[in-house]
Amino acid sequence: MTSYFIRRFLLIIPTFLGITLVTFLILQFVPGGPLEMAIMQMRTGGQQGSEQGSKGTTQSIPQEAIEELKKFYGFDKPIYERYIIWVSNLAKFDLGNSYKYNEPVWDVIVSRFPVSIYFGLIGFFLTYLICVPLGVYKAVKNGSTFDFISSALVFIGYSIPGFAFGAMMLVLFGGGSFWDVFPLGGFRSADWESLSSMGKVWDQVQHTFLPVLSYMIGSFATLTILTKNSVIENLSQDYIRTAYSKGLSERKVIFGHALRNSLIPISTGLGHAISLVLAGSFLIEKVFNINGMGLLGYESIIERDYPVVMGILVISTVLLLVGNILSDIIYAIVDPRIRFN
Amino acid sequence: MAENNPETKVSTSLLQKRWKKFKTLKRGYYSFLAILILYLISFIFPLFVGRNALLVKYNGDYYFPLFKTYQSTDLGQKKDAYGEANYRILKQEYAESGQGNWVFLPVYPFGPNENLLSELEGNPPHPPSIQHFAGTDDRGRDVFSRLLYGFNIGISFALVVTLLSYIIGVAIGSSLGFYGGKLDIFGLRLIEIWSTLPFLYVIIIISSILQPNFLLLTFILTLFGWIGITYYMRGEFYREKARDYVSAAVSMGAENRTIIFKHILPNSLTPIISYAPFAIVANIFSLVSLDFLGFGLPPPTPSWGQLMQQGLSNIEHWWLIATPLLSLFLTLLCITFIGEAIREAFDPKVYSRLR
Repeated sequence: MTSYFIRRFLLIIPTFLGITLVTFLILQFVPGGPLEMAIMQMRTGGQQGSEQGSKGTTQSIPQEAIEELKKFYGFDKPIYERYIIWVSNLAKFDLGNSYKYNEPVWDVIVSRFPVSIYFGLIGFFLTYLICVPLGVYKAVKNGSTFDFISSALVFIGYSIPGFAFGAMMLVLFGGGSFWDVFPLGGFRSADWESLSSMGKVWDQVQHTFLPVLSYMIGSFATLTILTKNSVIENLSQDYIRTAYSKGLSERKVIFGHALRNSLIPISTGLGHAISLVLAGSFLIEKVFNINGMGLLGYESIIERDYPVVMGILVISTVLLLVGNILSDIIYAIVDPRIRFN
Repeated sequence: MAENNPETKVSTSLLQKRWKKFKTLKRGYYSFLAILILYLISFIFPLFVGRNALLVKYNGDYYFPLFKTYQSTDLGQKKDAYGEANYRILKQEYAESGQGNWVFLPVYPFGPNENLLSELEGNPPHPPSIQHFAGTDDRGRDVFSRLLYGFNIGISFALVVTLLSYIIGVAIGSSLGFYGGKLDIFGLRLIEIWSTLPFLYVIIIISSILQPNFLLLTFILTLFGWIGITYYMRGEFYREKARDYVSAAVSMGAENRTIIFKHILPNSLTPIISYAPFAIVANIFSLVSLDFLGFGLPPPTPSWGQLMQQGLSNIEHWWLIATPLLSLFLTLLCITFIGEAIREAFDPKVYSRLR
């Protein structure tokens, strides 16, 4: 099985190259790229707005200046050569400089890690801490009123898009026309540094509550129902009958026997926990105005900041591919019956 | 679940059995009826909701504005008499003049794309009132009407995308799983590459070259929607291929085509059919998110996502976000209930608690 996983790891390389190459190619076709933007800026000479679209002034930019710009952005070379340069730089862990921030891409991305990890970890732990016990309890009490009501609640949550829920919460509690309970967004208040230590915690909690709720509302259903079904299936197995006939208490049967086997399908999702550093939906971040990874990715796409786009793609692709394999490894560890070949 | 009663021993097909079981699951069944009926009605919404009158009698002649547009001068409109006839004004004017002319309006006489600024006081958006159940949006268009028309567009969109992605996903997944080998290894890499492509770029690229419309957006979403089904079908074909009934079919000389379509496919379709409602939910989500970001259907198409975007940029006008959210929520909740019921009807695992 070791050889299987080694092969899987080796397959990451061609997949990775394929993904980056295709994206690299696509970027060339996106209109309004950095070169065009720079030319546009030169043409309008600082005055924004009405004249941006006019074609009549194109001649006024000397050819040499355009060539120089091309050189600056590296567009003077053919595309395959640029891709090779990009890959060889990547091999030296150099992702280039962001067009927008004029900083190394790596620094730009790392600066967003804390926000992503913060929300990612809170969401991750809360989801698992609530959904798994809830699922187990629902399975044990299958068919009861509690089961029915909690199922309905969970499905209601599943039917609300997180960002829309967040927007609604802001309308209700953000101080627009109803209650003024929570701030209108942001990661912290602007005067966070000057607050007392208790004030800092309270401020952070206030800024955290609604976004985390929006993140979690959709993921509740999947994990809860998965846990419930898994436990129910195990409770009807023969080994549970054996456990009962041995005279074990119900508590022991459920927690010592059924639960252990039921957690196998749930544990496989853990491999993707490494992607937490990039966690963040840009829809929710846009609603709450949080400067996280999602917003960075979205803005870099909109503003054609190609090095950042490629940088995020590199990190997320590697994490995804490694996460896939990690999940399989965890699967093989927790369930010795699983054999990969 | 065979019928044991000898008198009613009529054999029922598997599908009929599932349908019967589905009907007993009240929550899902009624949701299904509600969505189905509302969706069918939504095709004849102009009869109930819209700016065009159903029937106009003017100077002894009958006019059917639903099928032909009339200029305001054709029908003798006096106030704001330019462009297309405004049947609400016309109705008032006919009633005042008392010459036996009349206008028969739809129950809710406001269209989704109609600017009502000339008839309303104050600045848009207007809060909900008895005339405008859900107020107006920032361009003075009736929100309730937009919500209703948006329902038809959203559901149609999701249905088409789901169907197309299923066809592609099943075709590709089945061939990868059935033929396996090099095709599988190579195909899987391509799919892996495809699935990580930044979806938003493709939308931006395409929408900068072509104006996105309903067809183009279904096409783009289908391009990215088939991947999950493909993975599933591939696994299913791998598993089923090794079963005895397939070996039996092979040894009897069945052709590949027969094995794929007659034997394996019917055996592996059940889970993906029961997954379909959730795929529809996901596709409605996608359309709403794209509209929310402004990369969706072109204005002035009535859309829930676009309303939410308006609502978020003016959060003091709560109805702009509350009403589309409520519509979206009720729709998705019904579809989720349908999905849950279908899953139970198709996969009736009866667990007996042993203790």
